Amino acid sequence: MKLTAWELHRLESSPKSKLRRTFERILTILPLLLVMAHMAEYKLMPDFPKYVANRIAYPVSDTYTVFLGILAFALLIYLILSFFSDRKYERLVHSSPLYCVIAIILSIYDIATLKTGILQLPYFPWADRILLAIIEDRKMLLDCVTNSLILLFAGYLAGAAAGLFCGVGAGWSKKIRYWIMPLLKLLGPIPSTTWISIILVVASSLFAGSVFMIALGVWYPVTMAALNGVANVNRSNFEVAKTFGANRFELVFKVAIPAAMPSIFNGLTQGMGIACTALMVAEMLGVESGLGWYINWQRGWAEFAKMYAAVIIICLTFTAVNFVLTLIKKRVLRWKEEYV
Amino acid sequence: MSGQVEIRNLSKVFARPGSDDTLQALDNISLDIRPGEFVALLGASGCGKSTLLRIIAGLEIPTKGEVLFNGGRICGTSPKRGLVFQEHSLFAWLTVRQNIEFALKTSRQYQDRKCEIDRWLELAGLAEFAGNYPHQLSGGMRQRAALVRALAVSPDVLLLDEPLGALDSFTRMSLQDELVRLWQERGNTMVMVTHDIDEAIYLSQRIVIMSPRPGRISRIIEVPRSYPRDRASGDFTVLRNEILRFMNFAHEQQYDYVLLLRHYKSVGSLVTW
Repeated sequence: MKLTAWELHRLESSPKSKLRRTFERILTILPLLLVMAHMAEYKLMPDFPKYVANRIAYPVSDTYTVFLGILAFALLIYLILSFFSDRKYERLVHSSPLYCVIAIILSIYDIATLKTGILQLPYFPWADRILLAIIEDRKMLLDCVTNSLILLFAGYLAGAAAGLFCGVGAGWSKKIRYWIMPLLKLLGPIPSTTWISIILVVASSLFAGSVFMIALGVWYPVTMAALNGVANVNRSNFEVAKTFGANRFELVFKVAIPAAMPSIFNGLTQGMGIACTALMVAEMLGVESGLGWYINWQRGWAEFAKMYAAVIIICLTFTAVNFVLTLIKKRVLRWKEEYV
Repeated sequence: MSGQVEIRNLSKVFARPGSDDTLQALDNISLDIRPGEFVALLGASGCGKSTLLRIIAGLEIPTKGEVLFNGGRICGTSPKRGLVFQEHSLFAWLTVRQNIEFALKTSRQYQDRKCEIDRWLELAGLAEFAGNYPHQLSGGMRQRAALVRALAVSPDVLLLDEPLGALDSFTRMSLQDELVRLWQERGNTMVMVTHDIDEAIYLSQRIVIMSPRPGRISRIIEVPRSYPRDRASGDFTVLRNEILRFMNFAHEQQYDYVLLLRHYKSVGSLVTW
């Protein structure tokens, strides 16, 4: 009889005491209870008198209640599933403490803002206001996300392509390295955002200028990573390929580049971080679209809820972008031990 | 007949990195390797046996003398002269099957030989690991895969640079048997660099013993035994003892063990021989 890895894990881990099992069960239910308690607190606890007195200026909706309801429902589904699957149960036990803390923080924030007014408007809008801002401005926010992503990827892809070209070339050929190295040493230490003021003046269009600035920021780490990656490929790889009759094209594209991929992806990840920073700088200082511009624009109107909304959207967008990059990395580097 | 290697008065000098100094790796080597022969280059490290192999492969340029392959002077590498290293012999980013495909594609034999890939995988006992990446295989499997990859392009001579050097002794012995089997089936010339005397005796028809600084051929020993050979036989042991004695002599380093022991005692460290 062949064990599955999971059965083996169950078999070898020490049996849990009854107390421990009870504790874990309670732990899995706790996040749901806390979210529901938060919901009750939000609905039942009286608001700060100043807000109650002027409902027109300080409206409170049930959007947040619905949001919490969805959260509670998701937790409930997870909880029910955990009764049928040991694996889901273990995972829920693992994540429960974190969920609990999140629910508690949400409650504290709600009490501190809406209920007691310790943290005052306009700087600290309560969660409901932020949610409303997102929903109210969704069209514009979506537009901003699209514009930001277009600018981000235009710059990122251009910079990554240039970086790969320079880096692989310089790693491969001493002649190319001779010309690339001084350029790297000169431009490398300058943060690409330094160029913004010059770009604002010189560039024919702000979009093109911003693409250039982001690309420049990405170019440097990708070039360095590709250069090091290619230069450090084990020589025997090339030698074996040569004995099979590989020509120069094959040595570069079928040996050097694939072998340097782990290093190249380090550069690409680093470049993405720089690109995101450069994007925000470009949008806040010049380009008149995108999430960075939106934040700045809303600040002009003292619309703090909308600024927070944009921050949340930025967070979600960049997380998604990095998630996709990690997926691609795992797929490309599946031949590496640590990605299996 | 193909697979003939003639080495004529070959010398190789290396520049020492970072100085104007040079180092003589090979000095006036002459050796004829017959087609289909299994030759072992045996010697301590630094005797230039790997350099000799690399020159035959076309990876190094001779300083003096020449190497003829099938009657023509060697110029660069060729799929006719296959090479297997001790480590990093497979491309880590390709599966076993893709590694063999790479060899066939770059040597422009893919169309003619792609149907043979499965047979090679079968022969190496790797049929069910064809889709695995090298890091998922054991050391022995990796070297088996490297061997059949090199053989898949049908080289006239296979150059082996301590291909079994990194393996444990049991895996090594079973791979030695495989190597003999593959060689007998293919009938190509084999040139193997090794520092393992038993391996040289077990596998090769001729053992070329080399001495270091500068690298010279100090003796060539014929091993006129039929295959498969018996590791435990008496004349195997006799031959091994002879080589051992000879190599000690060739070393020209007679240790004064009494002095050595006294030295280690005075230092106070324990010597484990």
